[in-house]
Amino acid sequence: MINIEIDGKQIAAVPGSTLIEAAHDAGISIPHFCYHKKLSIAANCRMCLVQVEKAPKPLPACATPVAEGMKVFTASEQAVKAQKGVMEFLLVNHPLDCPICDQGGECMLQDMSVGYGGVQSRYHEEKRTVLSKDLGPLVSAEEMSRCINCTRCVRFGVEIGGQMELGQAFRTEHAEIMTFVSGTVNSELSGNMIDLCPVGALTSKPFRYKARSWELSRRRTVSAHDGLGSNLAVQTKDNHVLRVLPIENEDINECWLSDKDRFAYEGLNSSERLTKPMIKQDGKWQEVEWQVALEYAANGLRHIANGAGAEQIGALATANSTLEELYLLQKLTRGIGSQNVDFRLRQSDFSGDGKQQGAPWLGMSIADISRADRLLIVGSFLRKDHPVLAARIRQAVKKGAQANIIHSADDDLLMNVENKSIVAPDALVEVLTQVLQALTAESAQNATGAAAAMARSLAGGKNVAVLLGNFAQQHPQAAQLQALAQQIAALSSGKFGFLGEAANSVGGYLAQATPGAKGMNAASMLATPRKAYVLLNVEAELDCANPQQAIAAMQAADLVVALSAYKHHATEYADVLLPIAPYTETSGTFVSCEGRVQSFKGAVKPLGEARPGWKVLRVLGNMLKLDGFDQDTSEAVRDAALKGVDVASKLNNAIGVVEVKAASATKDLQRVSDVPIYATDAIVRRSAPLQATTDAAAPQAWLHSEELHKLGLQAGATVKLSQGLGSVKLTAAADDKLPKGVVRVAAGHSVTAALGAMFGTISVERA
Amino acid sequence: MEKISHFFKSFLLVELLKGMAVTGKHLFSHKITVQYPEEKTPQSFRFRGLHAQRRYASGEERCIGCKLCEAVCPALAIKIEVAEREDGSRRTTQYDINLTKCIFCGFCEESCPVDAIVETRIFEYHGESQKDLYYTKPMLLAVGDKHEAQIAKDRAADAKYR
Repeated sequence: MINIEIDGKQIAAVPGSTLIEAAHDAGISIPHFCYHKKLSIAANCRMCLVQVEKAPKPLPACATPVAEGMKVFTASEQAVKAQKGVMEFLLVNHPLDCPICDQGGECMLQDMSVGYGGVQSRYHEEKRTVLSKDLGPLVSAEEMSRCINCTRCVRFGVEIGGQMELGQAFRTEHAEIMTFVSGTVNSELSGNMIDLCPVGALTSKPFRYKARSWELSRRRTVSAHDGLGSNLAVQTKDNHVLRVLPIENEDINECWLSDKDRFAYEGLNSSERLTKPMIKQDGKWQEVEWQVALEYAANGLRHIANGAGAEQIGALATANSTLEELYLLQKLTRGIGSQNVDFRLRQSDFSGDGKQQGAPWLGMSIADISRADRLLIVGSFLRKDHPVLAARIRQAVKKGAQANIIHSADDDLLMNVENKSIVAPDALVEVLTQVLQALTAESAQNATGAAAAMARSLAGGKNVAVLLGNFAQQHPQAAQLQALAQQIAALSSGKFGFLGEAANSVGGYLAQATPGAKGMNAASMLATPRKAYVLLNVEAELDCANPQQAIAAMQAADLVVALSAYKHHATEYADVLLPIAPYTETSGTFVSCEGRVQSFKGAVKPLGEARPGWKVLRVLGNMLKLDGFDQDTSEAVRDAALKGVDVASKLNNAIGVVEVKAASATKDLQRVSDVPIYATDAIVRRSAPLQATTDAAAPQAWLHSEELHKLGLQAGATVKLSQGLGSVKLTAAADDKLPKGVVRVAAGHSVTAALGAMFGTISVERA
Repeated sequence: MEKISHFFKSFLLVELLKGMAVTGKHLFSHKITVQYPEEKTPQSFRFRGLHAQRRYASGEERCIGCKLCEAVCPALAIKIEVAEREDGSRRTTQYDINLTKCIFCGFCEESCPVDAIVETRIFEYHGESQKDLYYTKPMLLAVGDKHEAQIAKDRAADAKYR
């Protein structure tokens, strides 16, 4: 430790740290704009000038490393004079339009000018004007004259986001922040630039002029989208969610938030929200009272259970539902006498079900990923599926970790990838087997090829992490991939785990919302249609692995009870629609990918007559006269599910012996499906700003250009894709980074909902 | 000594004469009672009466919806909703003052960065129900339009003290 003195206070500072860090750790505040603890040092705003003994001039605290015996004065006459001078210069070109600025009330420049600004400006000349920029539907750069050129946004893009979408062009008073190449900011983390901007230059476009910061109430909650469990501050006014901001949690989301978590709230106020219970009578939808709708649903279920048998009832839920909802759903289903309950809607391989030792999870803490030095990421659209986790991995790679990728698509991860093997889906198992063999065989030391190189990379690591992505989890040979990953991790003395698809992908297992030995899983429930379905937050044609099969099963069913926050496609096959509250309007619990149990309370009242899902299921349970439905609060439901349960002991990725055999070779084109980042769940699909981003562009049929050539097609041509009985017409596009023999078609999207399974063969022909 | 002084004072009715002198003085001095409503007292240019919303000479409303008046109002009498107008500018879609709540402290006027909300010299307004004293944006603008000349004059007179 280095001993320094700041404002007369003796401080032991970490060697190599800067004055501003040492001061902040000791609780001494130094004014600053461009300094941010997560970004590199730029020292261009000069606001943090402090007096240092024996230094002839004030020094910037953010760029001055601590040295033994240093005496620093942050509020001496010289320091304050320097700080006031800097502030005067910063305000020279600032428009001072705080009254119409969205940042007003939460602006660093505004706050700081109270302490360091003059009463009147001495500058009477013309101020500079910077033209507004269109950065896309999320980040507003309407008032770039407000910019103080701190370059936090630029540094964020380069260092955290991984790509330089914004840059500073020109010099002196002509300097301005602008996009260089793309014209818009397309990063899936772009919203963080809004938080970082210390002034009102970059603001939130959907939030523009919606409210002032002091009008908003702040409620703590947890993200309902990806499995990271990001901590959110939901800001509300008049019972509406108007903004979502991150709550800093170093172990989870640090201080970042993905755009999905940040802007999905716009979907909460969508006109598609279901606000009254509805039942279908004589083919027409009627709004009814809760009592009527619930009785209709309960009687219908009872009728089917008594008539056709309880096993004819199936319950499906998405992994975005809360733990409480999932727990009560499985209690309800089992109470009626059926074991058919599942939340793993996009999974296609359930052969590991009996062999799986516990709930599949990340296999390590999220913070452990930062410490990993060798990573093997199998089957993951990492950047789009887990934006914040990808940023964490990017940081690890920057510090020297080696990332190895095995996947069926080669999207730019915006980080250095040590080795990669991009193969067709049916060859994933083979590649993993090769890596495993290379790890065991001595001769592999000098072998060439990606698999051997990966094995060498993994063998050389101290903290190895093998991560299976959503694509691997949805893969038809998922159990084999898991078994192979397990062996690879064991041989390289590392950890392995699943990145996890949704907010409650781990919670679903803890809530026992899986069929168990006797029940039917999600796939078989749809493959052999049931007479009745209970759907929790499910949009059958978008959330299931095989939309064709799902829709056919729904349409054939006698009774479909849909608990949903939205009035969606279910109106075509459901018989009862029960409006339930999305995560901002209900209390509940999500268990994140690392097994962290996070409960939250509702931020606003449910819209219209919507009610929290757990209450609806509780009342349904009471109406069916089932035991164990007497909880008064969601906490009581959570305790019923988790009380006395050691969550950590339930988490286990280990899988028993799985026969590994390569898939039979096929000459047909194989489908590679990603669930686009803004098509993952019901709320995101209805968020208008997110749907206006480039990431939400209409799905295309991506093929290797040689494949296109073989088919006699050209990029831009309309092609007909057929799977099973259904077909869709899409525009063909060339992507030479894809392996040959595959077509990449998005799943979970209404345009491609007529197609079949996410994996398997697909035919492409000229339309 | 005091007793003697008291004896003569009461004997010669000095107190009474003193009192009568005051009465007499006021009987002949300038009258200050104002015969309201025929006559009116002079008003300061800082008089804080009925609120008005002002416009610029171009006819553009001044208010930019910064909500500072709403925030500063100690009686919570102001309610504002803001949206982006087609031309991209920040404008109020709702600006209501509940005059039954208002305590006429003038904070709203003081906080306004564009001199949009002002308190005029008008104090003779009434309403037959609470509803009548709930002033909406068009009503406030109408007051401003009607009395703009006086309002502008008063602001000009006050300018050198601000």
